[in-house]
Formats: sequence, structure tokens, C-alpha cells
Amino acid sequence: MGIMTRAYRNISRRKTRAILVILALAVSMAIMTSIPAGINANQIAMQQTTENYSKLTAEMQQTINETMKLITCEYPYVDPSIFPGAESYYFSETDLNYIASIRGVKEIVPFLQYDNVEMQSTSTQDGRQMMQGGLVYRIKGIDLNASLLINYLPGNITEGRNLQKGESSAVVIGKDLKEYFHADLGDTINIKGKSFTIVGIHELTGMDPRNIYMSLTDAQELLNLTGKVNTLDVYAEDSSLVGDITNTIDTAYPYLVVTGYQQRLQQLNQLQGMYDKALKNAESSLNQTEGTARGEIALAVTATSLIVLLMMFYAVRERTKEIGTLKAIGFSNWDVMSQFILEGVLISMLAGLVGIAVGTFATPMLSSLLLPQINTNLGTGGSPLGGGTIPLGNQSSITATADLQVAFIMFGVIVLLGAIGSLYPAWRAAKTRPVEALKYE
Amino acid sequence: MSETILKTEKLCKIYSMGKRKVHALQGLTLQVVKGEFIAIMGSSGSGKTTLLNMLGCLDKPTSGKILLDQQDVASLPEKKLCEIRRNKIGFVFQTFNLLPYLNAEENVELPMEHSQKSKVERKKRARELLQMVGLSGRENHRPNRLSAGEQQRVAIARALANNPSIILADEPTGNLDSANKFEIVKLLARLNMSQGTTIIMVTHDGQVASHTEKMLLLSDGRITKEKQGLHLAKKNQQCPYCGNKIQIDNDRCPSCGKRI
Repeated sequence: MGIMTRAYRNISRRKTRAILVILALAVSMAIMTSIPAGINANQIAMQQTTENYSKLTAEMQQTINETMKLITCEYPYVDPSIFPGAESYYFSETDLNYIASIRGVKEIVPFLQYDNVEMQSTSTQDGRQMMQGGLVYRIKGIDLNASLLINYLPGNITEGRNLQKGESSAVVIGKDLKEYFHADLGDTINIKGKSFTIVGIHELTGMDPRNIYMSLTDAQELLNLTGKVNTLDVYAEDSSLVGDITNTIDTAYPYLVVTGYQQRLQQLNQLQGMYDKALKNAESSLNQTEGTARGEIALAVTATSLIVLLMMFYAVRERTKEIGTLKAIGFSNWDVMSQFILEGVLISMLAGLVGIAVGTFATPMLSSLLLPQINTNLGTGGSPLGGGTIPLGNQSSITATADLQVAFIMFGVIVLLGAIGSLYPAWRAAKTRPVEALKYE
Repeated sequence: MSETILKTEKLCKIYSMGKRKVHALQGLTLQVVKGEFIAIMGSSGSGKTTLLNMLGCLDKPTSGKILLDQQDVASLPEKKLCEIRRNKIGFVFQTFNLLPYLNAEENVELPMEHSQKSKVERKKRARELLQMVGLSGRENHRPNRLSAGEQQRVAIARALANNPSIILADEPTGNLDSANKFEIVKLLARLNMSQGTTIIMVTHDGQVASHTEKMLLLSDGRITKEKQGLHLAKKNQQCPYCGNKIQIDNDRCPSCGKRI
């Protein structure tokens, strides 16, 4: 019957107390296990956000590079039903061939854009009634064979899929139009007397509301504009050639609205600024979370030490006479001290095992309870390149899961704290004079 | 020639109670011969327990010498005292002081934990001792399942575990009823006779003390009176009243019928 058996018997003879202490220590241990798991989850989320950010900025840079080379040529569409007699201009096949042949032009992307505007009556400040055109929807007929198609299709499809090469009688609509058409994914809608199947629904970006994406051929047929387009994106081989190309087109087509890259660049810069701010917020949020975590771990460590300290103090006081007896029958100071330290360590070990079990199951709950989730959402935005949108960030949070390695480290920590916490009471027990201890009632 | 096992010379113990000084022992000189069974008597506060604590190396005197096996233990460091308590002294307390979470056998084994004995040897010795004190079959009982008398028997067995030179018993019958009281004192007397163990017992009970060999009366920290007990007669196997032969276990003389 050795010291270990005595330590175990002493713990087990005060079952309720031992269970309460073990539970308290196990909760501390679970907290100590779940906090690093929570931090780890936040760090992973942050890492993913940073990776997304890098990807986005790379895409942005590519877009900026492309934008630097882009010239948008647009004939505004004029609805004859609203402006009778007004004439709309279109690019003919010859025009497209001519522009494509200008020196320095790398590629042209033609598309047809049609705004379905309805006149609405509004009141002015002085009470007069005024008719104003309101956009009902915008048809975007896109050449589905274009090499830069990705820039012209919506990037944030939330339901269904995007348009595919060679597809016809299919549309992708903004989710704000679901209500207008009283239709959902897979439904057939009627646009100007022609039936289209909704194959995809995209999230709104703020920059391209009420859009209906379809193939260029479908749009041309629908608007009786076969072979015609009213918008043309011209890509220069190099940004240094943009000025010359713009001048050439401007001179050849006086009614054409030719837009350079400056305005678009400004929009892109704003968007990048927004990303930077979001990333900084996430980083600051992570630092704050880590600070909170450090505080909570310190609290758990202190609580653990105090629980063991108080429990062992109580045990020493309660067993003073036993200490006197042990010394009287020849136990040394070290024997007495090691007996109490061992009891502290043993109870911490039991608590550690319970703590591992509790920590494994309760880590997701505890970490979300103890640590604020960092905001890793970079938001969504629209691409300044016409109809396209690009995904800007993820909104998913990483669930904290208990790491077995951390759990084992924390098990070691709690056992160490048990030893440290019982050190002083054990030393006091060892230093108790046997004569005094034997008198204790 | 009788061998002196324990000797004190001008032993003094002064306790400071604030500004007041209490002289618990005042130059006490005592000599104990090997195999003696001594009772120390005295009123409350006479210094009995203080003397026992000094003899048992549980406390140190303010001045004077304590010679145990010719070695002055008063000046020894705690580590040495601990070894002496373990190997040379056995304690029996008034309140038994058994560890409640150990059974009788484990309680007896406890002092042997630091001895050279193997686990099997310790167990065997514990069983032998329990048999000797009349507790065969009660080895696995924890103290709360033993009567007061039985608990004191376990405590005596524990005191004998390391085969000590001397047993110090502090009011060993103080918590027992009269039947158990005499059983315990007879047990100690038997041990003294059979094993030759030196026993010093503190008691304030005259009847219990009369069963020892020598009674020392302590008053104000000094030995004021010394008297012979019945135990010497039993040792000599001769009735102190009629001179006829008696046995150690006789309560009365078989010849004259007087209580011995």
C-alpha cells in the first residue's frame, strides 16, 4: 500500500468534494482547450480572408490592366415608343470590321444593351406633375463566344448556373426581377412576346440592377436588330495605344459615346480601398480577439490554481491530526509533502481527463461563447466592366474544433497547475510541528 | 546488569505564552531500564504529555539532555529525529489516530513503508501483529467498523510494526470503557513480558497505572514520587501479598485471592 493508493483513497473518500473540484477544474481545462481552438479557427478564417484578398487584388490588378486597355463605345438606345421619331444608331458588320482593323486594336467585344424604360408620373416641389422614365429592366445581349466572356456574365450566381456557349432561349436574371416576372429558377418568362427559361439568378451588386442576360443573337432577334449591336468594348494591345485608337474611333463615328478608362479606374480604386478597409478591420478584430483570449486563459489558469490551492489548504487543515500521526510514526517532511502534492496532481489528472472529454464536445460552443467571431466578410461588389461581377470575399466562419495536441498540452498544464497549486499547502503540511498537529481537534 | 535505554538529565521545557513563561518541565531527571513498564502519573498540567513528547522526539527541550540508546536526541536535526521515531519508538495515542481510509492491516503496515521489508514481508508482519493483539480476521476492517478497544489494539500493533526499542503510550486507556481499559493494559503488560518491549505509559488512572512495574508521579514538571506496581510481582511470578506463585494473566492470586 503505497503513497499512490493513499492519495487515491483520500480523494475518493470525499466523493462529492472531489467531483465538484474535478468538474470545476475540467471546465477550466475545457476553456483552456477551446480558446486556442477558437483562435486557431479565427486565424484560419483570417488566413482564408487574406488569401481571398490576395486573389481579389490580383484579379483587380488584372482587371485594372485590362481596363487600362479598354475603350467603351456606346450608342445610347432610344426607345421610339417614348421618343417618337428619335433615331437609334447601331454598329453594322462593316463598322465592327473597320474598328477591329484599327492599328493597335487587340479584340472587340460587341454586345447589345436595351433599356426597357417606362414613363412614370412624379410630382415636382411646386406641385406640378412631371413624366419621368423609369428603368423596368435592362437586356444585355452578350456574344457567348467572346474570349473575355467571363467579364460580361454575372459572377455571383446564387441559384442555377450561368449562360453557356451557344445557348439560346435562356436567361440569367437579377434576383430583383423575380418579383417583376413572378417567376423563379427554371420558370419560363415572356419578354416582348418571346419565351425564355430562367437558368440562373444572380445576386445584386448595386451597379447592375434589373439585368436580364441572354445571348446576343436572342437579344438581336427580340429587338428586331439582327446583325446589329449598340455597344462595343474595344481592347487595345497596349494602354499607350488607347489615346490614338479613341481619337480614330471618335473621328470616324461622331455620334458614338467613347469612354476611356479613367472613370472606371476610379471605381476600381474605390473598390480596392473598400477591400483594404475590410481587411484591416478583420486584422484588428483578430488582434482584439487574441487579446481577449489571452485574458481568458490567464483567468482560467488563475482559477485552476486557486481551486487546487484552496482545496489542498482545506485538506491540510482537515487532516492536521493525520499529518501529526504520520510524522509521529516516522514519516519525513518530504513524505508528507509529496503525499499532498500527489493528491493535487492526481485530482488535476482526473480533471484533465474529464476536461479533454468536455473540451472535445464543447469546444465549438465554448469558443463561440468566449471569443467574438472576427468579421472576415469583404463584401461583394460589381465589376466596372459592364455587366460582369466578381466575387469579393467569403462570409463563412470556421467552426472551432478541439485539437488533440492542444488538449494534451493543456492536460500537462493543468497537471502542472495542480502540482503548483498544492505546493504551498503541502509545504505548510510538511512544516507542521508534530506536537501541534497531534493536539489539533 | 540492567541496561539503561532512556535517560533524561536536567530536562527543562519552557513555553512562552505571550509575556508569561510556563515551566512545563523543570530539571527532570529520569532513567528507564530496558524492558521496564513505567506509568507516569500526575494531574492535568503536571507535564506528563510534555515529557512524553520530549521522549518521543516529537518536541525539543529548552535545556537538558535526552539520551536514547546513549545518543543525545535533543540536539539532533529533524531528519535524524524522524528516523529515530520510525525505527526506535512506537506511539500509542489516546484517540488511536488510525487513518480512517486504511483498513486495520494497512494501518499496521504504514510505519513499515520506509523499512527494507518487501511488500509481502510487510503484509505478513502486519498480520502477525494483528494476531498478537487478538484481531485475527479483522484485518480488512476499516477503523469505523472496529470498536474503540479494537482500534486501540490496531494502534498498538502499528506501534510495534518496526520492532521499536520503546513504546510511548499517551493515555492509551483514556477513551475506553473499563472492560476495554484493562484488556489494553493487560495487552501492554503481556507485550512487555513476552517481547521485552520497554513501555512508558502516561495515565491519570491509578488503577491502570497499578498494573505497571513502576509508577512515577509528576508534579509541576518534576518527579515527586516513585512507587512500585503489581507488574513487577507478575514478572517475578510471585504474589506480593502471600508470596505464592502467580501467572501473568492472573487477575487475582490463586492462593490468597487478592486482586493483582
